[in-house]
Amino acid sequence: MVLPILLTMGGLVFYPLLSTAWDSLHRVNPMQAGTPFVGISNYTRVFSDVEVGQAWLNTFKYVVIAVFAETVLGVLAASLINQLKSGRQWVLAAVVLPWALPGVVSGVIWQWIYSPGPGLLNGLLVMIGLDYEGHLWFNDSTSAMLAVSVVHIWRMLPLTIVIVLAAMQSIPGDLYEAARIDGASRLVMFRNITLPLTRGAIAVAMTNATVSAFNLFDEAIVLARNSLETRPILLQIYLEAFKKLNFSYGMALSLMVTFISLAISLGYVLRIHRSTRLD
Amino acid sequence: MKEPRHIRLGIWAGVALLLAWSLLPIYWTLASSVTPTVEFNARPLHLFPEHPTGEHYLRLLGVLDGHMGGVDVAGEFRLALFNSILTSSAATVLCVLMSLLAAYAFARLNFPGRQVLFYAVVGTMAVPGYAVLIPLFRLMVSLRQIDAYLGVTLIYVSAFLPLCLWLLKGVMDTLPQSLEEAARMDGASHMRILFSIIAPIAAPGLTAAAILTFLGAWGQYVVPLVFSPKNTKPLTVLIPEFAGKNFVDYGLIMAGGSIAIAVPCLLVIFLNRYLISGLLAGSTK
Repeated sequence: MVLPILLTMGGLVFYPLLSTAWDSLHRVNPMQAGTPFVGISNYTRVFSDVEVGQAWLNTFKYVVIAVFAETVLGVLAASLINQLKSGRQWVLAAVVLPWALPGVVSGVIWQWIYSPGPGLLNGLLVMIGLDYEGHLWFNDSTSAMLAVSVVHIWRMLPLTIVIVLAAMQSIPGDLYEAARIDGASRLVMFRNITLPLTRGAIAVAMTNATVSAFNLFDEAIVLARNSLETRPILLQIYLEAFKKLNFSYGMALSLMVTFISLAISLGYVLRIHRSTRLD
Repeated sequence: MKEPRHIRLGIWAGVALLLAWSLLPIYWTLASSVTPTVEFNARPLHLFPEHPTGEHYLRLLGVLDGHMGGVDVAGEFRLALFNSILTSSAATVLCVLMSLLAAYAFARLNFPGRQVLFYAVVGTMAVPGYAVLIPLFRLMVSLRQIDAYLGVTLIYVSAFLPLCLWLLKGVMDTLPQSLEEAARMDGASHMRILFSIIAPIAAPGLTAAAILTFLGAWGQYVVPLVFSPKNTKPLTVLIPEFAGKNFVDYGLIMAGGSIAIAVPCLLVIFLNRYLISGLLAGSTK
């Protein structure tokens, strides 16, 4: 009964994973004959590669922007939805929608929204009297990074909302009742009841947000092609492996990214573990 | 206790803002898909299409002439739509079936290495897909599975198996075993118990696993970009290609986008309850 799953996982995950590790120590390039052993040179090369450095910096910026925005907006949105007495499931369905759409299709949709001439964004800004007629959002790197981040946040915010909202709904109502009798204001209740009791869920949501911002790819490739200014590390790996055909260098890069992403998730998990034990 | 009016107003304003943020881009996609090409540059902006037309859809689906710039756009689109539906459905069925079998074995049978194997499979959730992409590519080249339905479907399956196994094992651990024991007394086989007793009770969990797999496979981009370059190309690869060609106009792209997002939209609208439960179970792994 477990045979099908083991065969699939073994052949398509474990075997390739091992072969990634093995090949990253060799020079594998279909354009060059042979696969000589090159030790860790694929790894040391990473540190002198300017493009990799820029891509890392971009990924780091994406993670900071996305995690911050998704956490703040997600907690805010979840507490709003939690206040609703009717129609909650419809609001939730509408809010989840962006998460369910294919990432590249969202990218294409936002590309159309950002487009300078007929785009919705410039159109709306002009409508409220701002001078954004024909404004180019991808002309400087800061606004391009932000434009890509907005699309990513649009897609991933629902996940934070769903996780945090579920935790809020499990807080017993009599806690708030008691606080209300004591004359606590809404803000005080939020700070002293809601936040402490949803801390674990917020940490889980932040872990998910970090990992998905780390894996940002679709939005960047659709909105800004291969532009180095907005290129995240995964796009760098893709270009290195499938455009330049430096397979082994790409593998070394992807292993490094995997380890860093695992380390970050592990860091979160340990922190959650500690904080819940203290509670 | 009645809430003060300004607080209720504030809540509704916030919710309205949230809905606009989530839905406006989707509305704009639909609106653009029925706007005639000549009206795109109209200023001030028309939030509602003034002369709605079905022309983009008719050209995209080949009812009107779908050739543009010497390319059979309609033919490519129909093939990609078919490919997306085929690979996502096949991956969903295979993935749910395989993880159902395995979840039963891991939850109910005793065999050596049970724990280790379970955590080995589930642990791969933490391994990002790109870590295995390059060796997979070389493997698929040697197996002649590039641009083949089987290859790309199996890759989708391997990507979503751990999550499905995790979900379904969790469901089975909570099911009472008394019914199964009674069935086993009557001499029912494992397969019979699994498919006629457990599967019906675990239906919500199965639905959640199926939706997550289907949505995930439907939205895949990098995998088909590498493994399905031509004849098995899905919508997610074709639509961005449209955006890069100057002879395909945005009305057409938005019509294609509307069709590509219609399927996930319907799933969310009708099966949101299962989706949310699956998301929650998956996120707290």
